Amino acid sequence: MASPMELFIWRGDWGLPSVHTDSLTALAYARFAGAPLKVHKLSNPWRSPSGTLPALKTEQGLCLQPLQMLEYFKKQGYNADYRLSVKESADTLAFISLINEKLLPALIYTFWVDAKNYVSLTRPWFANTIPFPLSLYLPNRLHERHLEQLQLRLGSQALNSEEETEAQILDEASECLTLLSQRLASQSFFFGDSPSSLDAVVFGHLAPLLKAKLPNSKLQQHLQLLDNLCGFCNTVLSLYFPTEHTDTVSDTRRSAAPCETDEDPHKRRNQVLSVLVGLVAMLGYAFLSGILSIKRVSARGALPAANRLTEEGDEEE
Amino acid sequence: MSIAHDVLFSQMAAAEPWPENAMLYQPLKGEQILLSDNASCLAVQAFLRICNLSVQVVHRANAEYMSPSGKPPFIHVGNHVVSELGPIVQFAKAKGHSLSEGLDEVQKAEMKAYMELVNNMLLTAELYIQWCDDSTSSKITRSRYGSPYPWPLNHILAYQKQWEIRRKMKAIGWAGKNLEQVYEDVDQCCQALSQRLGNQSYFFNRQPTELDALVFGHLFTILTTQLTNDALSEKVKNYENLVKFCRRVEQNYFEELDHESRLSPTSRSLRDTPPK
Amino acid sequence: VISLHANFRSLDPLPIHGPEFGSAMDEAETIEVEPESKQQVLENKEVVVQHVHVDGVKRTKDDILAYEIADVFRAKNLIEVMKKSHEARERLLRMGIFRHVDVLIDTAHGEEALPHGLDVIFEVKEMRRLTGSYNTMVGNNEGSMVLGLKLPNLFGRAEKVTFQFSYGTKETSYGLSFFKPQIGNFDRNFSMNFYKVTGQFPWSSIRETDRGVSAEYNIPFWSTQHTLKWEGVWRDLGCLSRTASFAVREESGHSLKSSISHAMAIDSRNSAILPKRGALLKINQELAGYTGGDVSFLKEDFELQLNKELLWDTVLSASLWGGLLIPIGDKGSSIADRFYLGGPTTVRGFSMYSIGPQSEGDYLGGEAYWAGGLHMYTPLPFRPGQGGFGDLFRTHFFLNAGNLCNLNYGEGPRAHLQKLAECIRWSYGAGIVLRLGNIARLELNYCIPMGVQSGDRYVPSFTSAFLLFGGFWSPVA
Repeated sequence: MASPMELFIWRGDWGLPSVHTDSLTALAYARFAGAPLKVHKLSNPWRSPSGTLPALKTEQGLCLQPLQMLEYFKKQGYNADYRLSVKESADTLAFISLINEKLLPALIYTFWVDAKNYVSLTRPWFANTIPFPLSLYLPNRLHERHLEQLQLRLGSQALNSEEETEAQILDEASECLTLLSQRLASQSFFFGDSPSSLDAVVFGHLAPLLKAKLPNSKLQQHLQLLDNLCGFCNTVLSLYFPTEHTDTVSDTRRSAAPCETDEDPHKRRNQVLSVLVGLVAMLGYAFLSGILSIKRVSARGALPAANRLTEEGDEEE
Repeated sequence: MSIAHDVLFSQMAAAEPWPENAMLYQPLKGEQILLSDNASCLAVQAFLRICNLSVQVVHRANAEYMSPSGKPPFIHVGNHVVSELGPIVQFAKAKGHSLSEGLDEVQKAEMKAYMELVNNMLLTAELYIQWCDDSTSSKITRSRYGSPYPWPLNHILAYQKQWEIRRKMKAIGWAGKNLEQVYEDVDQCCQALSQRLGNQSYFFNRQPTELDALVFGHLFTILTTQLTNDALSEKVKNYENLVKFCRRVEQNYFEELDHESRLSPTSRSLRDTPPK
Repeated sequence: VISLHANFRSLDPLPIHGPEFGSAMDEAETIEVEPESKQQVLENKEVVVQHVHVDGVKRTKDDILAYEIADVFRAKNLIEVMKKSHEARERLLRMGIFRHVDVLIDTAHGEEALPHGLDVIFEVKEMRRLTGSYNTMVGNNEGSMVLGLKLPNLFGRAEKVTFQFSYGTKETSYGLSFFKPQIGNFDRNFSMNFYKVTGQFPWSSIRETDRGVSAEYNIPFWSTQHTLKWEGVWRDLGCLSRTASFAVREESGHSLKSSISHAMAIDSRNSAILPKRGALLKINQELAGYTGGDVSFLKEDFELQLNKELLWDTVLSASLWGGLLIPIGDKGSSIADRFYLGGPTTVRGFSMYSIGPQSEGDYLGGEAYWAGGLHMYTPLPFRPGQGGFGDLFRTHFFLNAGNLCNLNYGEGPRAHLQKLAECIRWSYGAGIVLRLGNIARLELNYCIPMGVQSGDRYVPSFTSAFLLFGGFWSPVA
């Protein structure tokens, strides 16, 4: 390899290498396949070359979708699926679709829409993780984006009644978890003894749900009842991310030791830039709100004027 | 109304048998219905026919807006209005009609997963081709979608819908794909389905399930619908067992009943389009 | 149970109807002529109005002012000068371009001054170029913020542009209107509206979003006011909930209505709220479908009100409404076009719009209706408060009746009349009316509904209070 691929992901917490589903999926697959990677665990998506996380920087450019990343790894010869039969490959595709259609909306709902979880877990986590001036803006932006995504996935009429929608999303996700549990049965991985891309996707979706300390945890409770899925997540964690809780840089499985780093050569420059951006934003806000207050004063002046008109009309007689 | 109402359904609906006057509402078949809607409607029709549940098909220009989920088709049975295949399957199950009773747990899981494969890839690809491919949307989709409405509402509604679908594609990460990649996805999906089907009559041996209904609805529609070019149907025709499967379902469940209502929107049968 | 209803059935655009002179004008009617003897003296004294000045004008064009004050020159004696000046002042105020207008009458000055010459000076203060308002409203589980912007006197000839934007937790609405009066004849005016309004109608389990354009021409003709209007509306109907009846579900979707309508009104009442005398006749006709769109019908409706003062300030008021909707072509009428009846504005004692055809508890409206009311208003027992607080209150006794149904147009008029005479809903009772300014009234009634048909909903408690807005008096959707 001339230069190793670089993967930019959200930083980890709760004993996970990353808290973010897509980041986890890509990372887990890379580990499964033994792809040499330079991993950047970031707390600021603006430091990723695409401005979003996750991102895979390759010689051919950027990969942003986790499934595209998996494809890229495979093309580079890091294939965790080579043992699968054609029927198993078909099953992989089907179960990834199932997760995408049924589990993902519920994850978005649990982390971003459910008011309790959002206010006491998701928002504080991102607000504390993202560096200062951006932490005022980005969590809201992420929130909006997730709400929009959920709404578009469900269709226009779906959010008419929130309670019904919530029940429906969570029920479908619970069913999906049960189906996954039934499919996994007593195997250690979905297709035998070694992990494949389906395992990476399942791990990416289940691990945050299992490890996050959610105040409102209906779906989490359902997952905890499914022992084999919980066991699966813990197996992946202990086999492929053995040092995660201490956050040290080491890897036991691969010769090409990856360099996990949070350091960025442009750190100082970025800090200065972000402070500047923040200042401009605050000044802009102050300026805008100043304008607004001026307008409101004049508006208040205008209303009594209308009353005066009628009053004086009476006085004249 | 979905699985959330499972319990409700089983309590309220189980008592009543399937009524004679059950109705299935879908968009106007000649000039309005789109490929994706037709696929969904046909899947529901196939499911009900396989279950041997009688239903009268009603064509309404506003079927999409009448549907509680905003997507056609929906059934009106007694006091219940249920839209889309998944909930309709649940509803029929509550009334004691199920096609997947005989399957074991793992098979059920696989069946559900393959159904989501069709929804996740085929349906999305159909929507993409309809609304995001400029030549298809300008030559076919927008004029069909707006056809029941007077000027200028026909354009407004069509562009509104197109905008909504494009936003959805963006949200699920399909906006960056080009047409070729979408055809590749369709191919991948068909390959998976073809592998899974193998040389069985139906996906789970001898008896069709709701998965068979769903796959039939989509593949049959793709095979029999004329788009700006044949690229999409060619992808399906590459898999001989899938084409034969469509033919089989058509023969077994639609032809003997054909006098009741014609099946395909274009009134074409697979007999007219022999597989390569 | 005391309940407050804000009555917004009508999906009219936000209140952006041209001029807002209603409030200023009603009070003016109460100026009574001064005692006879004094008047005689003043009338005999001949005067000539030599100059009329309008001070404080910055943007307003002279020609439009000249028309409004021209009459003052025709005054021949002092009392006439006062009267005409007063009228001119009222005319200036109602244009809505001045914040206040003061009148000064002085002996003529200058070289050409005649001994019996007078100068009349109007001191005016123009409105600001742009005025704004900001409100927040909280209604039944919905909050909204209303922003209003007004450009009075845009080009100096009393043209007006208004913009209202309401941003709610559930719905957003907006309206933009342009108003242009004819110079010298303020009642003849043209206006143009663009709007989007959303409404939720729980009695029908339906929500409606309208986006529309309308152009309106108002013409006074003798003592009547005529309005010619073209309107194009894109209507989006949907169910309020999953439990909505199937009949309502079938109406969901989009339609485009393009209609021309004509309205005529004669109003000789002394006030819009609790009038003492005079009559009101409104006739409205709408023809939809010939200028485009996919909705075709002919709609006729009228309102008649007669007021007569009896002994001791007691007023007897009789009203009659009626309407007919005839669908054209083979498509039936839409739920959004039909008439609704019932509630505190029409047949008291029944719930809001809860009379007539319904399906699973959702009222579908009817294609024909009539309603009548007989009221007796008396200031007793609030007479001791005369001239003050007591003037706001009236006691009233009422008898209301009405019917709403669908007609089969294949049958003759005889069958129609018979159908409208069948199953009449009526109610009687008594209550207290509180007048709130010149725009609203509040009623507290004891009411007994009669002739209730199965499916009708009536107010279970005998006591109820309603808030009615004068502008939304019409029972017609």
